[in-house]
This record gives sequence, structure tokens and C-alpha cells, in this order.
Amino acid sequence: MDAAALQAFLEASVRLAAPLALAALGETISERAGVINIGLEGSIIGGALGGALGALFTGSPGAGVLAGAAAGTAIAAIFALFAVTLNADQIIVGTAVTLGGLGIAGVVYQSVFGATGTALTLPTLPALPLPGLSALPVIGPALFSQAWTTYLACLLAPALWYFLFRTRWGLDLRAVGEEPGAADAAGIRVRRIRFLAVLGAGLLAGIAGAHLALAHAGTFAEGMSAGRGFIAIAVVVLGRWNPLLVLLASLFFGAASALQFELQAVFANVPYQLLLAFPYLLTLAALAGWIGRSRAPAALAHPWPPRSGE
Amino acid sequence: MARAAVEMRSVSKRFGPIEALADASLRAYPGEVHALLGENGAGKTTLMRVLCGALAPDGGEVLVENRRLPPGGTRAAAAAGIGMVHQHFALVPSLTVAENVALGTREGSGLRLALDRVHARLAELERVTGLPVDAGAPVAGLSVGAKQRVEILKALYRDPRVLVLDEPTTVLGPQEVDWLFGVLRSLVAEGRTVLLIGHKLDEILRVADRVTVLRRGRTVLAQGRETVDAPGLARAMIGRETTRAAGAARAEAGERVARVEAVGIRGDDGRMAARDVTLDIHRGEIVGIGGVEGNGQRELALVLSGRLPPAAGSVHLPATVSLIPQDRSAGGLVPGFDLAENMALAFHDDRAHRRGPLIAWRAMRRTARQIVARFDVRTPGWRATARSLSGGNQQKLLVGRELARSPDLLVAENPMRGLDIAAAAFLRDKLVELKGGGPGEGDAGAGGRPTNAPPGIVLFSTDLDEVLDLGDRVFVLVRGRLIAVPEEERNPAGMGRLMLGSERA
Amino acid sequence: MISQPLRPRLRSRRTGPLAAGMTAILAAAVLAAAGLALAGYDPVAAGHALVSGAFGSWERFASITLVRATPLILTGLAVALAFRAGVWNIGAEGQLYAGAVAAVWVGLAFPAAPAWLLLPGAMAAAAVAGGLWTLVPVGLRFRAGVGEVITTILMNFVAIHTVAWLVHGPLQEARGVFPQTDPIALAARLPRLGSGRLHAGFPVAVVLAGALWWLLRNSAWGFRVRAVGASVRAAAVSGRIHTGRVVLGAFLFSGMLAGLAGGVEVAGVTFALYENLSPGYGYTAIAVALLAGLNPIAVLLAAGFFGVLQAGAAAMQRDVGVPAVWVSAIEALVILAVVAADRFLRRGMETGAGPPGRSAASPGSEARESSSGSGDPLSDTGG
Repeated sequence: MDAAALQAFLEASVRLAAPLALAALGETISERAGVINIGLEGSIIGGALGGALGALFTGSPGAGVLAGAAAGTAIAAIFALFAVTLNADQIIVGTAVTLGGLGIAGVVYQSVFGATGTALTLPTLPALPLPGLSALPVIGPALFSQAWTTYLACLLAPALWYFLFRTRWGLDLRAVGEEPGAADAAGIRVRRIRFLAVLGAGLLAGIAGAHLALAHAGTFAEGMSAGRGFIAIAVVVLGRWNPLLVLLASLFFGAASALQFELQAVFANVPYQLLLAFPYLLTLAALAGWIGRSRAPAALAHPWPPRSGE
Repeated sequence: MARAAVEMRSVSKRFGPIEALADASLRAYPGEVHALLGENGAGKTTLMRVLCGALAPDGGEVLVENRRLPPGGTRAAAAAGIGMVHQHFALVPSLTVAENVALGTREGSGLRLALDRVHARLAELERVTGLPVDAGAPVAGLSVGAKQRVEILKALYRDPRVLVLDEPTTVLGPQEVDWLFGVLRSLVAEGRTVLLIGHKLDEILRVADRVTVLRRGRTVLAQGRETVDAPGLARAMIGRETTRAAGAARAEAGERVARVEAVGIRGDDGRMAARDVTLDIHRGEIVGIGGVEGNGQRELALVLSGRLPPAAGSVHLPATVSLIPQDRSAGGLVPGFDLAENMALAFHDDRAHRRGPLIAWRAMRRTARQIVARFDVRTPGWRATARSLSGGNQQKLLVGRELARSPDLLVAENPMRGLDIAAAAFLRDKLVELKGGGPGEGDAGAGGRPTNAPPGIVLFSTDLDEVLDLGDRVFVLVRGRLIAVPEEERNPAGMGRLMLGSERA
Repeated sequence: MISQPLRPRLRSRRTGPLAAGMTAILAAAVLAAAGLALAGYDPVAAGHALVSGAFGSWERFASITLVRATPLILTGLAVALAFRAGVWNIGAEGQLYAGAVAAVWVGLAFPAAPAWLLLPGAMAAAAVAGGLWTLVPVGLRFRAGVGEVITTILMNFVAIHTVAWLVHGPLQEARGVFPQTDPIALAARLPRLGSGRLHAGFPVAVVLAGALWWLLRNSAWGFRVRAVGASVRAAAVSGRIHTGRVVLGAFLFSGMLAGLAGGVEVAGVTFALYENLSPGYGYTAIAVALLAGLNPIAVLLAAGFFGVLQAGAAAMQRDVGVPAVWVSAIEALVILAVVAADRFLRRGMETGAGPPGRSAASPGSEARESSSGSGDPLSDTGG
């Protein structure tokens, strides 16, 4: 691999890792609070559509990201309303929210642009070269000339780590995810924390979706989230519910996805449909080999208050 | 007299068909240890959960220092100065002691968590109360006694005017109880109020200044310590005279029915819950195993009954082993299944209850009916789910099912807990009868063992008197180690010494 | 120990689930109508198009609606069985594709075989393939302690891309024009019933629903499935139920039912394999199973309901111009409405006199505890 190819590979790795990292970091927070949000995929597609519409109507990709964040949060709010407020089953509600998110995104997209829709061209998030760093050879243009949402993901990881492990709210949130009963007895408002954590996850998933539309594709397509929400949930497992490791795991997946394009170039005879299955197979393989003794938050997916009369 | 620290007037509370509190009142003053007594199911814990804001009462009122307890749940009650030490600890195992103490407090400047400040205040509290803890240790690795100390410190950290302790002595050995009572006395000397829930009279009378007795959700007695005695309190709790059962005759052991050798067991958290346990069990004997909760009883019971493979050592068990687990609602019964279905958990594949691959539901219902009749299980009806039974009736149903299997070996973990006194006495007699090769419940339909070959029985209990009364051979289980109690130590104090000695080791 | 959730799983013998289902459908219909009106469509005309599209004539009902309902019945049974056993099989879609591939392969590979052999062979291959497709999630759950929720979903994506590869590559039609296989042998096709397109897969699905209902209710196997789904711990403590084996069996059986759905679709409707063979039957199946309260007989009705919805959607698009993508939004709405109605009904019952009924849905959380690799000694991860 020559320098130019390496540079392209690194750049693609980081670009592809960013949406995964954003979504997975959000999911880390919500899972730490005991909520597994399978509806993440819905928030991502919502964010992508919101981002596309926002950027299109304002002409500003930055405003698009805000709109995407709002859309992702709104979809997460539906999830939270059912899974936290109504205390319904998290997996079922999450599945419904993913289905509904994909459906509603399609409905809105088709009502705005018509069913046939010629490909949409959107204003894209410009690369933001970091002064100094971006001048470094190879890695400079690759790593330090990205859209601002990518930098956001990198900054969020340590910030969320600090939040989780060094602040009062982080302590309360972890307690809610481990032993909601104990948290409740200590006067912590379990449902409120869970609700807010889910909204936060939706916000980041929305930004992830907007990044997909505005930093990757420059367009919106139905189903463009392509299962990233589910991969992000797997990434959280691989990152052992620790924001710093989650960021690393996302980069690993970004690299793997970027490799897919390299492989396509190198092994022209490997059918590309099989290469498309590669990220999912890789996720499964990583889950099989990685887990060891890592432990999910003890109350993950447990309803609160508990369902029976005990 | 000074004004009351806590006053509860005619509190009532229903759970569906069950009336937990009907007319419960309580008045406790500053500077006293106030005992709240009653049989299992009398409503003690419910009343205290109303006090600490975890339950909203249906009727009545609660005053703390002459002010109505504001609505708003546990937060409001805590703000009003109520601190609670739960029977089932409200601790987060993966967090450290200091983090658990800091939970929900406003400790810290801005958002930052100031754990150093928590450590400093904990050290101060340790000094004042004499309760030693390791503030930096994760709670998961602590002994049960240490967890209780954390619970007490956590409550004291918020400087409550009223401290409620729910059955604190069930997790303590006899010497630790004395020591806890010393701490409680020093707390009330500072002008606080301690509310102590219990059901062991001798113990309570050693520390209480005043006593309130609940029976079936009603206050039936409220008097100073000096005017009551144990028999009077027992009468108030049960509503009639009791006679203490004579000690069970010690049995000659029969043939060996089960053996575990050098067994090690891994618990839920991956730690070794028990190690190097060797035990022979013979037909016709009751092996009594005493010890404080959380020392490996649950895990050892699962291994002895063949429900869990050990991590080390060998296990030889007979064909049919019955298990009465401690946590009946999460372990023994399926709350949403009806009575026959809960019986089917044990009998769905035995010959009397199946036709080929199908379950003979008619026979199953007949078995359920026999067990219900024999064990006097009060049910709302035939289609009733286990959930709709009271705790005591669930326990009777479970015990009935396990005895009806005609086991070669019966493993029971605190089987008397949750039963009222009459039911506990009935179960005690059943166990004695069973080991004597009596009819047992074998004719309830399960078939199997000929009725003249008695099973071996392993009885785990946190109640040392129960173990001493029923056990032919007596052991204590301390931090996962099984220690035989020699003849000269066959008394609560002796067992307590063994438990403490091993704890230090 | 404090948050130990006890999840009611047993079917309430009251009218609970039925009432919840009807309320949910009504609420979803109202919301969908409001959404259509908001988007500028005439909801009355849309509803009329939907109903006449699905029920217009017997011919239409049998040929479109019942044909649509057939794979939904089979996948709905697959999901219902898995959920009853406490298994989160969200992978019916992938298992369906696995079954479709197997059935097509059999149908193409043995053109000379007689119908009495080839058709059952293709169906058996479909079921086996669907079962095999669960092996990766099963292995991950039992060997690595990874929950099946994510792994079954990931396997759906693997299946879809694999099918895409097959129809572009090794299984592509001889002409090599379209990304699809050649049509399977006539002997591998399901016979038609009557003059329309209704095929024998429909009565087979109905019989399977009845059989599953009967087995869950009366057989020792069915009881074990229900017990493990209701409480893994109680089942294990009883000492009479090998929970790992029960979970494994239910998972495989669930995959087989979904695989059969793929086989039936190929042998009864499409006669060939191509991308997007399934319009998300495996996901709609979750809505079907939940709406049915996980009761196999009720799955027939719920699958019929969604069959109507999907059959009517085409008419809605043609007559009123409502894009078909509305259907998946409405399906999500139905799931959420079922869940909400269930929660509200249960709340009412919990505060009322009677014992609370069972949730309309969902594997017990105990099952999930064990699947998250908590190291619970009673979990079945060692199986």
C-alpha cells in the first residue's frame, strides 16, 4: 500500500468510524442507565433525514446537523415514552421504533420528494483541517482534516468518561443501571435519569445520522442507516460500556469497513455483495471472541419499577 | 413526655385482595429504641415502607416531629429525617462503599463527585459509631455483616432523626447482635429515634425501650419495656397462647444417601461462594446448617440438590432430590402459573401425571388439590395464580409440592421463613415425621420411594435455635466453609463463636 | 436482589389480550388516519381502497390477502414460540431467506425427481436451513454468553447480502440477465387451491398454528417451553427441566418455522429466488406475534390482519396514491399501541381486585439475564 492509498484508507476509516462512534457513545450512556435501545437505528435514520431536510432548506449543513439531532431525539423520546414512562418491554419497543423510524423516514421522504425521487444533492459538511496537525504527512490529511462531527465524537469519548466516572450525575446514572432499587432507595429518580439518558443517546444517534447524510453521502437514501444502529449496540458490548474503549472499538470497525473498499480493489473477483456482509460477519466474530468476562450493567433491560407485586 | 418523633395514625394499605395494614398506629419518641414486633405477614415492613415514603398509604396519616410527612416518596421522607436500613440491602454491588454512601447525596462541588470528602466524613462516622468499614472496597466483595454496616453508615451519613432497621439481626451472629445493639444505644443517646423491626422476642427485649405489636395489620399493643414480658408479647403477636414444642428426638442415622466431597462452588458474581465442603447425608437424619445469610447457603443448597454443578469436587446424589429454595417467588414458583401448573414444574414428566408425551392435567389438578388440602393453602380459587396467594401460602404450596415428590433427599433453605407460627410448627412436625419414616406426603401421587425408607434432610437456617432444635448433626456455614459443631458447642453462643472465629481467620 | 424482576408470562385467562389487541388496532387506525390526513390524503378514501383491495372479492381475498398472510402466519408462529420460551429471536427475516435459498436449491438441483419426493424435500430443506441459520446466535448465546437480540439481527443482514450474492452469482438464471434464479421445477411447487393463486401453504400454516397451540397447552414439551419462558430460575430449581436444552430446542424450532415460511413463499408464490423476496415478513412477524399475545391460534387472526394491511396497501397506492411505505409505519404503530394498551390494562388490573394478567408480550427478563452472560449459576449458558 503506498502513501496515498494509506492516506485514503486512514481517512475513510475515521470518516466511517465517526457515525458509529457517535451512536455507540450515546448508547453507552443509555445502557449504563439500564436501557438498551434497539430503536437506535430509528434515531439514526431519523437523524439522516432530518439532517438532509435541514441542510436542504437552510442551505447550511450545520443547521442540518442540528435538525438531525432534533429528529434523533424526537424518535428516542417516543422510545423513552413507552419503554421508560410506560415501563413496556425495551426490546419490543425498540424493535417497533426501528421499524417505525424507517417507515416514517420513508413516508416523509416520499411525501417531500416523491416516490421516484431523483438522487438528492445536499450541501455537505466541509472538512475542517486542524491548523498544524493537518500539515503532517499522510496522517495529517487523513486524521485531521475531517468534518467537525468527527472531532465531536473524539472529544465526546473522554468527556463522557469523565461524566460517567467522575461526576455525581454519572454515579447516579451508573447506580440506576446496576441496582435501580438501591438508587431509588437513595432518593434518585430512576425514571427521570433513564428518560434523559435515552434522549441523550437519541441526540447523538441523530447527529450520527446527519453525519451519514451530510459528511458521507451528500444525499439521503431510504435505509441508508444500513444496520449501523445494531452494529453500534454491538460496539458498546465490545467497548465494555466504557466510552474510551467504545471509541476504540468504533475506530476498529471504521477501519474494517474502509478495508472493505481496499479489498474490493485488491480482490476484484470477490463479489462485492459478500463484502457488504463483511461488517456484520466481523461484528459477530468480534462478539464471539471478545466478551470474556466483561459484564453488562446488571439491570440492563430490566423494567423499573419491577413488574410484579413483590 | 416529649413530643413524638414519629406518629402514625390508623394507617391502612391494601395490595389487591390482601389487606396488609388495617388500622396500624405507632408513636415513637426521641431517645428511644422502639421495637416493632409481629408475626410474619403482620405488616411490620409495610408500615415502615409507608414511613420511609416507599409506599403511599390508602388511609391514615403519618407525622414526623408533628408535621405531616409530605408526599413525594423516599426523597421527601429522607428530607424529613427518616433513614432506613433495608432487610434486603439497597446497595449497588459494583460500586465502592464510599460511592454507595455518596449515592443521591449532593456531595461535591458543582458536578464533580468529591469522593475525598465522602471518605473524610465516613472516617469521622466510623470513629463516632465504632462501625469499621473499608470505604474504598467494592461492596460486592464484602461479607454480609459488613454490608449491613455500610447500610447503617449510609443512613447515618444523611444524619437522620429517625433510623429504621428492618430485621437487622437475621444477618448477624449472636456476638455481632450484642455489638449492633451497643451502637443503637449510643445513637439514641444522641437523641435520635431507632425503630427496630423484629420477631425474636428475647433479642428485642434486650434493647427496646418501648414495644409496638402488630397483628394482621392492626396495632394490638403499645407499651413500655418495663410493663411487658416475652409470653405476653407472644400472646399479643399470635392472638392466643402458645406452647413451645419439645425438642425433637435425635435420630440414629440410616444408610448414606448422598455425599459431597471437597466441593467448591462458584457464585453468581464469579467468586467462590463455597469451598472444600465435604458432607455425608444419611437417611432418617436432619443435618442442620446454621449461619448468617449470604455465606454460601444458596449455592450449597443448589449443589446438594443437583441443580448446580460444582466448580470443584465430587457430588453423589440419589435419584430424587427435593429443594425448597429460600426465594420462593423468584425461585420455587412461577408467579404467573396457576396451582396445577406450579405443581407440574415438579411432576410434569412423572408417570402418574402424563400420558405419553402429554401432561395429564386432570391428575395434576388432583395432586394440586391434595397438596392444597393437606397443607391448608388458602387460595382464592382453582384458577388462581401463585402470585395471588399471600407469601405464607406460597411457601406452604411450595413445601407441599417438594414433600410430595417423596424425595430420597430433601434440601430446605429457611423453609419456616414467611410462615406464621402455626404453619411453622406444622412444617416442623412434618419434617420430624418425615425423617422418622412416617407417611410423609408420598401418597399425594408422585410415587417412587417406598414410604418406609425415610429421606435424608438438609436444613439450612439463619435461625440457630431452629437448627439446634431440629438438627441431628449441626454445622455452621461461614464464608463458604462448612464447620461441624462439636457436642460441647451445641448452643447459640458456641455456634456464634465458631462463626466469628472463622470470620476472623 | 432488589430489582429482581418477575415477569408474568402466562396467558391470562381473562379477556385481557383480546381487549388489548382490539383497543390497539383501533388506536393505531385512528392515528394512521390522522397521519394520512396530515399528509394530505383522504383517509376515508384510503381506508376504502384498503378494505376493497383486501376484501373486494373472494378471488382477491384468497389470491392476495391470504397469500400474503401465509408467510406471516409461519414467521409469526416462529416469533411467538421463541418469545414464549424467553428467546429473543428477531432473526425470522434471515431464517426465512435461508429457507428460501434451500428450497430453491432443491427445486433446481433435482429437476427429474417426482413431486411426492421433491416438494416435501424442498420444504424439509427450507425448515432445516432456517434452523441452521439460528446456529450462530445459538452458539454465541451458549458458548460466549452474547444475547441473541443483536446477533439474530446481524444474521438478517448477512442473509440478505448472501442472497444478493447468490442471485448475482452462483444461482443466477441461465440467461444471466436479471439477478434472480431460474424458476424451480414444477414438481417442487405447492399445488394451487381453486382457481386463484391461493396455494397449499396456507392450510399447512393453519394446521401448524393449531398444532403448536395444542402442543404448548397439552404436551410436556410445551409446558417446559412455557415454564422456561416464564421463569428460567423456577424451571431450573424444579430439578425436572433442563433449561438449556429447552431454550435450544425452541430456538431451533423457531428458526425452522421461519425457514419453512421462506420455502413456502418460494414454492407457492415466487417460484424463484431474488433480492427483496420478503418485504420484511420476519419483522412484521414480531408485530403479528405481539398482537396475538403470543397465542398460536390468535397468530392466525393477527397475520390475517397484517395480510389485509399489506394487500390493501397496494390498492391504497394505486387508488389514492398513498406510498406503500406507510405500511411499515403503521405496523410499528400497531406494536406500540399493543404495548401501550397492554400496559394500561395491566395498570388497571393491578390496582383493581383481581390478580394481574400477563403481559401481552415478551420473553422473560430472566432469560435475558442469562443471555447477557451474567454468570448466573442457573443460567443455561453452559448448555
